[in-house]
Amino acid sequence: MKISDTVVGAGFVAAGALISAGTLNYPSLDANHPGPSLFPRLLGGLMVIFGGLVGVGGLRTRDATEDVAWLRLYRNSAFINAMFVLGAVVTYIVMVERIGFLLMGTLILCVLMWRLRVRPLTALMVAIVFNNGVYFLFVKVLRVPLPGGLLWW
Amino acid sequence: MIENLQGGLGLLTTWNVALTILICSVYGLFVGSVPGLTATMATALLLPFTFFMDPVPALVSIVSMSAMAIFAGDIPAALVRIPGTPSSAAYTEDAYELTKQGKAELALGISVVASSIGGLFGALVLMTAAPLLAEVALKFTSFEYFWLAALGLSATVMIASTSPLKAGLALMVGLFFSTVGLDITLGYPRFTFGSTELLNGINFIPAMIGLFGVSEILRNMASAHLRLPTTDVRARHIFRGVGHSLWKYRNHMMRSGPLGTFIGILPGAGADIAAWIAYAMARRFSKEPEKFGKGAIEPIVGATTANNACLAGAWVPALVFGIPGDSITAILIGVLFMKGLRPGPEIFARQPELVYAVYISFLVANLLMIPFGYLAIRVSSTMLRVPRNILMPAILMFCVVGSYAINNSDFDVGTMLAMGILGYFFEANGIPVAPVVLGIVLGPILEQNFMVSMIKSDWDLTEFFTRPTAAILGLLTVLTWAAPFLPAVVRRLRGGSAST
Repeated sequence: MKISDTVVGAGFVAAGALISAGTLNYPSLDANHPGPSLFPRLLGGLMVIFGGLVGVGGLRTRDATEDVAWLRLYRNSAFINAMFVLGAVVTYIVMVERIGFLLMGTLILCVLMWRLRVRPLTALMVAIVFNNGVYFLFVKVLRVPLPGGLLWW
Repeated sequence: MIENLQGGLGLLTTWNVALTILICSVYGLFVGSVPGLTATMATALLLPFTFFMDPVPALVSIVSMSAMAIFAGDIPAALVRIPGTPSSAAYTEDAYELTKQGKAELALGISVVASSIGGLFGALVLMTAAPLLAEVALKFTSFEYFWLAALGLSATVMIASTSPLKAGLALMVGLFFSTVGLDITLGYPRFTFGSTELLNGINFIPAMIGLFGVSEILRNMASAHLRLPTTDVRARHIFRGVGHSLWKYRNHMMRSGPLGTFIGILPGAGADIAAWIAYAMARRFSKEPEKFGKGAIEPIVGATTANNACLAGAWVPALVFGIPGDSITAILIGVLFMKGLRPGPEIFARQPELVYAVYISFLVANLLMIPFGYLAIRVSSTMLRVPRNILMPAILMFCVVGSYAINNSDFDVGTMLAMGILGYFFEANGIPVAPVVLGIVLGPILEQNFMVSMIKSDWDLTEFFTRPTAAILGLLTVLTWAAPFLPAVVRRLRGGSAST
């Protein structure tokens, strides 16, 4: 997702300013020497400077199409693929405790592979075999308590 | 020394370590052979397993996997003109041209043998240089360690990047991440937003899996080229003609071995940069530079020697000073801390058998590279046919479970996802990810040594330059930052003197 350097630079300037502002209430060491605030404040300041320079550099070599290119992303299948990945992980985080790893993992793998044009039966077979392999490795060998959910045993 | 050697050998000759080497070698060969999966990503995906291992197998797994992966990147470079890892990009054209001329076996045979020789050279330098440097490092105080960390981070930004400004921003982000959690002076919670999970800082393993694993998946999924062209190679006699070619171009190997190791020692510069510089050097010393890019053997010999030599070189500053030489050793330092081991000169005195086990594992991995590499080349056509539209979702699932496994926490999965989005966004906009990792790893070292030094010196900044070694390191750091401006200053001075 390429966006213009001006926007990137502005984003870093804002982030740097927020980081610095976030340290304003941090306590000092004795004799008023800076303590926990020193490093983040310095980093925030440097982020503002570097971000500003990147932003100014972006203004010089500005490609106006980049500023609005992200508005057309919803039509880009590659971008939609990436959104599927993000959606899959967020869904996993939200639902895994209730549904359990085996069902959730199989569902997510099937959806992602379907999106990438794997044949449905192949996707289902791969998802079941792979997730059971992962389950065996992590739960039985490494003793990681993956959520059991609906299929708890 | 003999005792330590025996101790190191003893640690390696157990069935679980031997099995680890075997499995991780195969894993490294697979990852390297599949375009889009990098050695750094493979190291990040290994992290959840190293968490459950003893220190020796954990370290050995990284050594054997990375050595094999860097070589295996040459396989798709030669067969389908797509480098398996960025380290093979420099000589992809030459290797592929050789394949088109019906010399794929020669290209791959040279790759595997020269990679092995390069790796062995790097390992020998690691074995000799690291203990010597460790003795010097024993005299270091917080002032020297602060400057070492600062120098390492400066080199990452100024030397190892095409855009120092963007690399600088990436570094600031990494350093900022390192400040999250309880601070070292007062134990005050910084940027935790009331979250108990963040009190100990951002968890290193999910962060690495996100930055190198999820971001790669996003990049691959956002690529139109999920299906690779396939090719059949009858690689039965890959060593035929290799000896003659390597002897003919031995000077390239003799130059590229030390060059690659040196670049590995430089913080921030990894195997890909070593390969590109070795390629440029091979061209400079070649009698037939016009053949480069058209199926020349010289660049393959030079660059593939350098990228494997670089791997062991990167372990020198990582083990001796705790300053990573590349992204893989940045992850390694995280593993050492996770195992309760503090990288630095003390590790040579307190656990010499562990250090010797690392030395020997480098030698073993690079010797195993020849038979394992031979087998990988034999099955390369099959490996290249693994459909990436199945592989990528499967790796994503692995990333999710691996991140969860460390603390059995969904919060870590969220951290992984956030870091994955960040890594993808950074790469897409020309912001390198390696400085973020180095910032996360070196941030606490930088801050802790700075604060300790300031409190020791009663906030007198001049103390940072009063000790000779600290002064030299400080000067080098300043020079690193001043380097881009030096040519202009010299030109102006010359112009001024010419006009007077």
